[in-house]
Parts: sequence; C-alpha cells; structure tokens
Amino acid sequence: MFIDRFLRGRRGAQLDEAERARLEAAITEVRTFEPRARLVRAGERLTHSTLLIEGFLCRFIDDRRGLRQLVAFHVPGDFVDLHGYPLQTLDHGIATLTAATIASVPHEALAAIERDAPEMARKLWFATLLDAAIHRAWLFRLGRLDAVGRVAHFLCETNARLVLAGLSDGKRFALGLTQNDLAEICGLTNVHVNRVVRALREEHLCLFRASLVEIPDPQRLAARGQFDPAYLYIDERAAQALASSE
Amino acid sequence: MTQPAVPQPQSQPGVAVAEEGLVILDGPAGIAVTMTPDAAARTGQSLLDASAAAREQTPGSAST
Repeated sequence: MFIDRFLRGRRGAQLDEAERARLEAAITEVRTFEPRARLVRAGERLTHSTLLIEGFLCRFIDDRRGLRQLVAFHVPGDFVDLHGYPLQTLDHGIATLTAATIASVPHEALAAIERDAPEMARKLWFATLLDAAIHRAWLFRLGRLDAVGRVAHFLCETNARLVLAGLSDGKRFALGLTQNDLAEICGLTNVHVNRVVRALREEHLCLFRASLVEIPDPQRLAARGQFDPAYLYIDERAAQALASSE
Repeated sequence: MTQPAVPQPQSQPGVAVAEEGLVILDGPAGIAVTMTPDAAARTGQSLLDASAAAREQTPGSAST
C-alpha cells in the first residue's frame, strides 16, 4: 500500500484498516520525479494533495532575488500539502530534494472524508498539526541553537521520523542529501556545514557521508542538539522501539 | 526554571575561526555566520569600536 507509512506510530492518530483502504482508493495518480523538481508553485490553485511515498521533499519560500529559504523537510509517509485542501493555494513552493515518488489525492476525496468520516478527518487534521509542531521545532533550531546543535537536532529529528517510517534502524539511515542541502536546512554556509560535519565525526557523534548517516550514540547526539522527540507525538509502542534502538 | 523569554544581552563571546579562506563565527546563542575576511575584519573593528563606546556609556566603568 502506498499509504502504509502515513501517521505510522503517531499517538492516537494511526489509521485503521478501513481508513487506510479508503485513503489508498482515493489516490488517483502516482508519479516519480527527478531531484530538484518543483512540484507546486506558491499561489498556484490546487485540486490535489500530495502524499510522499519515496524520497525527500522540501517546502520553500523564495526571497525577492529568487534565493530559496527552506521551511520544511519531508520524509516518506508525509502528506506534504494536506493543508492545501482547506487553503486551496499554498504560500510556499514544494520541490524534490532527491528523486521522489508521490501519490496525488484529489481534494474532492478529502472533502468526502471530511463530510462522512469525522474520525478519519480528525486524523488528517492531526497530520497538519504535526506539521505545525515540526515547524515550531524548525524555528527553535534556527533561532536558538549553534551550528553543531542545528545539524545535530535536524539529524535526530530525521532519524526519529525515519524510524517511524521503517527507514532507519535508529542508528543508520539513507539520506540522499548533499551538504549543500544540509546547509540550506540549517541556515548555514557550505563551509560552515563542512566544519560541523567534521566536528560531529571527530566527536564520534555522527558520520555523514555520501547518502548515508550513521549515529553511533543517538542519546549523545540528541543532547548536543537539545532534541526532545515530544513534538513528534510518537505513540508509546513506537517510542519504546525508538528508545531501544539507542 | 524557564529563563526570561525576552532576549538578554550575551555575556559569552562568539568564537571565530578561519576555514577555507573564510571566517566562521559560531555563537553566542544561535548566531552562525560565515564572512569574507574583509567583512570579518570590518565587523571585528566595528565590534571593538562599539564595545569601547558601550563602556563609556556605563557609569563608573573605566575604559580598557
């Protein structure tokens, strides 16, 4: 199923079998995109929402000079622009960072869920609230942490999200991002990120090379990045699985 | 205990290092910038000048 990873391990919001089947049946199109492809332009009228199946996406806002500021990072299982259903347009763009496969769900199918399946609609609402929580953590990361802390926090968050998606064993995961991507995400220059990656390696906190991230001691990395997964609203069972991998 | 939400003056200095022909300033409190050597030198001088002026503004403190 394409939607298996959606809301997996989230507290009080996991879809039941019938809900999964309904959402799966609502998918009208599955497409694969190259890295660096723009999927949605800010202000564009939307008729579908996008569920990320494979790969990594970002949300971004361009400044007046056309320079991009990343404002969100998405992993497989995320319903990237579910908020596009009530909003109808987005105030930001969406693009692939890596090659990515996405599924499209028409807004009319979401409207039908809202109309006749309130419990399922609540879970979709939960997903957008989870996005908001991750945005708050993004603000905290950029506003409060030093360079090493920002990268450590981002890698801890990504690790936790990928554990829930079944794409990390808690200490090792594939992340097809470049150091340039990491720089954009963490609001740092390439040179600074290069220095941070070296520092994390020398402190045996994290190895970031090619498309692979290894975290020998997740607890130490979490402490360095002041990372507390509470904002990811992980259910008890998934939280235990995450903790046991540390 | 939660610290005051209003940003407070930093008493800890940032640390600057040279890396690949650029100057990286890390800290305090969330500051992370990379500057060209020229921009870093001018920023450094500006900081020294402002620091001296700020000391003059503090009653009873001697210039150093």
